[in-house]
Amino acid sequence: MSWRLRFALVAGVSLLVPFAVPQYSLTVIVAALIFSLFAMSLDLIVGYCRLYSFGHAAAYGLGAYCAALILTHLQLPLPIGIALAVLVTVAIAIPIAWVCTRSTGVSFAMLTLAFAQLGYAMLFRFRDITGGSDGVVGIPRPPGPFGIDWFQGRIGYYYLVLACLLGSYLVCRAIVRSNFGAVLAGIRENEAKTVSLGYNTRAYKITTVVLSYGFGGLAGALYAGFAGYASPELFFWLTSGHVLIMVVVGGAGTLIGPMLGALFFVFLEHQLSQVTDLWPLIFGSIFIAFVMFFPQGILGLLRRRHAAA
Amino acid sequence: MNFASFILAQCLGALSQAAILFFIACGLTLIFGIMRIVNFAHGVIFMLGAYVGYTAALVSGSFVVALIVAPLVVGAIGMAFEWIFLRPLYGRRDGGAYLLLTFGLAVVLSELIRIIWGAQPRSLATPEALLGIVMILDQPFPIYRLFLIGLGLAAGIAVWQFLERTRAGLLIRAVSQNSEMVHALGTDVDLVRTAVFGFGCAMAALGGVLAAPLVTAFLGMGANVVIDAFVIVIIGGMGSFLGSIIGSVLVGFVQVFGAYYFQDLALALMYLLMLVVLVVRPGGLLGKEE
Amino acid sequence: MPLLECKGLTRQFGALVAVDAVDMQVEPGEIRAVIGPNGAGKSTLFNLITSVLKPNAGEVVFAGENITGFPVYRVAQKGIARTFQRCHIFPALSARENVRLAAQARNARRAGAIADEALEHLRLTRFADMSADMLSHGDQRLLEVAMAIAQRPRLLMLDEPTQGLSLEETDRAVQILKAMLRAGNLSVLLVEHDMEVVFKLADNITVLHRGRVIADGAPAAVKANAEVRRAYLGGSE
Repeated sequence: MSWRLRFALVAGVSLLVPFAVPQYSLTVIVAALIFSLFAMSLDLIVGYCRLYSFGHAAAYGLGAYCAALILTHLQLPLPIGIALAVLVTVAIAIPIAWVCTRSTGVSFAMLTLAFAQLGYAMLFRFRDITGGSDGVVGIPRPPGPFGIDWFQGRIGYYYLVLACLLGSYLVCRAIVRSNFGAVLAGIRENEAKTVSLGYNTRAYKITTVVLSYGFGGLAGALYAGFAGYASPELFFWLTSGHVLIMVVVGGAGTLIGPMLGALFFVFLEHQLSQVTDLWPLIFGSIFIAFVMFFPQGILGLLRRRHAAA
Repeated sequence: MNFASFILAQCLGALSQAAILFFIACGLTLIFGIMRIVNFAHGVIFMLGAYVGYTAALVSGSFVVALIVAPLVVGAIGMAFEWIFLRPLYGRRDGGAYLLLTFGLAVVLSELIRIIWGAQPRSLATPEALLGIVMILDQPFPIYRLFLIGLGLAAGIAVWQFLERTRAGLLIRAVSQNSEMVHALGTDVDLVRTAVFGFGCAMAALGGVLAAPLVTAFLGMGANVVIDAFVIVIIGGMGSFLGSIIGSVLVGFVQVFGAYYFQDLALALMYLLMLVVLVVRPGGLLGKEE
Repeated sequence: MPLLECKGLTRQFGALVAVDAVDMQVEPGEIRAVIGPNGAGKSTLFNLITSVLKPNAGEVVFAGENITGFPVYRVAQKGIARTFQRCHIFPALSARENVRLAAQARNARRAGAIADEALEHLRLTRFADMSADMLSHGDQRLLEVAMAIAQRPRLLMLDEPTQGLSLEETDRAVQILKAMLRAGNLSVLLVEHDMEVVFKLADNITVLHRGRVIADGAPAAVKANAEVRRAYLGGSE
């Protein structure tokens, strides 16, 4: 089955989802889709550049808080507010990317964590604007442009998130399959060689990190509109941890794998949290197991089984 | 207020801060020296030490018991983790696996702490014997902090002498330099690694117990500390014990004087320091390049 | 005007002077070999030219432009391609993807076609879709050369291209290289230990010993040079 057909099928099915599931489930599904976008955004760095970021919550938090403040104070139409939040996130991501890509490995990881921690601390420093530990509550979904109010309802918002996810996936896929993506593969496999071929690998890494923050910021902005509030938890290191777990368990370097990882975890959390309080512990343990035994992730396992069959 | 006595008080405060940082950083650098990995879970280990110390003190009524029990318990947990999860991976060429594993440990321990002790901070009272202040040049200064300085100094000298003068210390230094050679000479290098990993965790846990009376045990205390420890180890040189002492003192001063002069922005100052150090010397000043 | 000029290149590592005031020139279309006993500084010289290492003193001038201290990727963009002593390729990518990435740096539009051509030249076409780490050591070395020529360089720098190759593989490599070099408009700088290969390919030879140039000229003259013989006598060749 060709890729286009598969994509059309998935898109088609997902268009029908709101009519096939109860209202409450739709809320969980939207959360899952937002996390899928968040996880896919991290895959650009982790899976395609093999740079482990421990601070991707910064992208999410930035997008969420920017959207929260823009929508609350400027009352711009929802889609425009979200787009603006993404632009601001991208702008802030540029110096962050420039600094972090100066190093690799552990140092890169620590730098990304440091920026996320800095963001977290800033939230409490400027509590007049950010609401401190209370966060920003009551985020509206202003209508517009042209008086459209599709996104104010649950189903409408689902379609917005779906459109952003599918659109982002198409863009990311095009990027990784392009000449740009080929260079990323080179960086991943042997950066020194890639440099000696004539590529300014630093510039490629900076670009990728900025793109990653952009899509992560989009996820955060969508979350702000979805949940109606933004809290400091979004910047907390465990948020970075959870999304990294989703990427690794799902299967890094595949774009789809991390989305599967996100879906897996949101649904697992949903099921488990009703039964036990220990579910975050289970996540961490599953993560360790996958790092040790199944580094290719869920997608890798599925593909192997498919190939063997 | 006398300026000289004020500065003296600030310096002593910085040294007491350095003492706590030293306990964490020396473990991190020793672990790196022996295993060439940065234990990302080190901050959470510190946090675990604080919580275990809190419970030990609660149950036994004695701070001294906490000081002994916490490092032992957490050190044992560290050794178990190294033995079960890190050892099998030692051959793998992919350095990313270690980073992710120690990160996974951090996540698991963090959640475990939240489940066992809950979300509220736990305060550990300063022991009776160390309560109170002493006047230094007509500036009041907490006795507890003097105790920290003394303990830090003693521990620093003890570990230094251990590494320099004992056979076990020599073994550890040898494995840090050339593990294959040591292995060829018949030593069980794996055992040395496990022991050092456990020791590093025990030190960090000790730091946690010592810090608890000052800052309480709270969730999230690990995340900032691991960054501090990393900066210290980079400044002093990855794998250099002496470097971890120098780095701790430096960062202690930056934090204390930064907090006084920059207040809220003191946190940003730490990150700025980290950025500058990583940009200027990715390999540290004294230690082995990664 | 020489294509490549090294003027007084010097590089120290602590007390060890690995490359000591080396002067060397490569003319357009020339094939020059750099030889010398182990530790003579040949690979260090290569690293200085390609800017992987920065010199303590001296200059590297390429096509009239001073490229000393340029970032490594810019040196490549100027038209210098090199292979490495320890054979650097992209193991998880296919042979064609390896070469295509090299070609893309110079000519993104025609990258695929250039890659296929290069694979042809090196007689590696049958491995095109195979993962590079599955190739034999000898073929991997040839793959690296294919990548280098796909960059369409003006100067090709080969660092011990026949190292680790069997007699038969070496022969094959030399044949391929010879055919390719005569056909193309290429200058070549070659570090080699295998003297037979050197004498089959090189127009001129520079001899390094303890970081210094001790001889420079046509193969026959270098062969006869007394100092060169002495340098090799105590050593590996």
